[in-house]
Amino acid sequence: APALSAARLPLSTGWLPALQFVRRGSKAVTRHWKAMHFQRQKLMAVTEYVAPRPAVPPRCLTPRKERVEEEDNGYARLLRRQVEEVFRDNRMIAVCQYNSMPGEDMVLMRHYLRKHNIEVKFVLNEIVRPVLSQSKYKNLLPLFVARNILLVSPELKAKEMLRVLKGMPQINLLGACIDNTILSRQGVENLAKLPSLEVSQGQTVGALALLPSQMSSLLQRGSAHLTALLDEHIRRLQARETGSPAEPAPAQSSGTH
Amino acid sequence: KKMASKIRVVLRPVKSIVVRFCPFESNVESTRKFLGCINHKKIQATNRNCEVTADVRHDGSEPLVDVMFADGERLIMKGANLTTIEMLTALGSRCNAKELMEEQKSKKKNP
Repeated sequence: APALSAARLPLSTGWLPALQFVRRGSKAVTRHWKAMHFQRQKLMAVTEYVAPRPAVPPRCLTPRKERVEEEDNGYARLLRRQVEEVFRDNRMIAVCQYNSMPGEDMVLMRHYLRKHNIEVKFVLNEIVRPVLSQSKYKNLLPLFVARNILLVSPELKAKEMLRVLKGMPQINLLGACIDNTILSRQGVENLAKLPSLEVSQGQTVGALALLPSQMSSLLQRGSAHLTALLDEHIRRLQARETGSPAEPAPAQSSGTH
Repeated sequence: KKMASKIRVVLRPVKSIVVRFCPFESNVESTRKFLGCINHKKIQATNRNCEVTADVRHDGSEPLVDVMFADGERLIMKGANLTTIEMLTALGSRCNAKELMEEQKSKKKNP
């Protein structure tokens, strides 16, 4: 009752002000983060930046097609050149799908394939696709989706390659380009089943030589038969004329045969 | 939006998966990506006995995913018009449902 009668609020009767100023302690500019004065806090909250809204919300507008620029990255160019080289230099190029394989298996596979002079190359689709579309290998284009690797070799070792790949379930052979011929997986398997070049050459030569030899034996059959009959006849005559010393004309006919 | 490699599928109730496609066709992309995702380390680690086979053909047939579950059920997904994420989520939801059923069965047996 004694405090509230006066208009002014005296400080002595246990009234704490809402704001308290710290007399000692940190200064205005500190190295640590200092809480803002309450009035400043209010001012900052009121004067926050509110972005102007566009008249039409961007969701309603059709999105602009952001063209991926060519960039002509030097690195991309280098990779493209490497791919072109690969396609030019090697006779056998096999495309396989690569699902993630443990590292040691990868190293082992590379080792086995290296023994047969087959190199393993990782390729990026976005680099290979433009190279292929400009070269003559357009039919290989649909193969290059998802992660792929290329197995390239200057020699044709389809059997060994298939054997190595059979042991790796995570690598799936999709197709191959062998001697500028595009083969599917079945084609590669058939190629592996073919006998080697020398054997097939020998087989061809034998087949080719068979016909003329048959023909010559057919043609000679008549005259050979005749000479055989004459020889037999002579022998019988000689056997009958035991003791006649002269050998008549049959010596000529046996000579001609 | 959602990356296909982030979807985790628990392959425990699955016995085998056969992925058949013809790489020279143009509608095989999602199936091939599905195959790639399934062969991820973490998904393979959930079930080492599950055999994932890839059947590469050249007869113009459409891409197919054939999943054989341990209780004899079969799930066939024709990937020609499906996206990778759809296939993965479908497989994942079925696997989860089977896991729940098995857990409930085992709980009933051992109360």
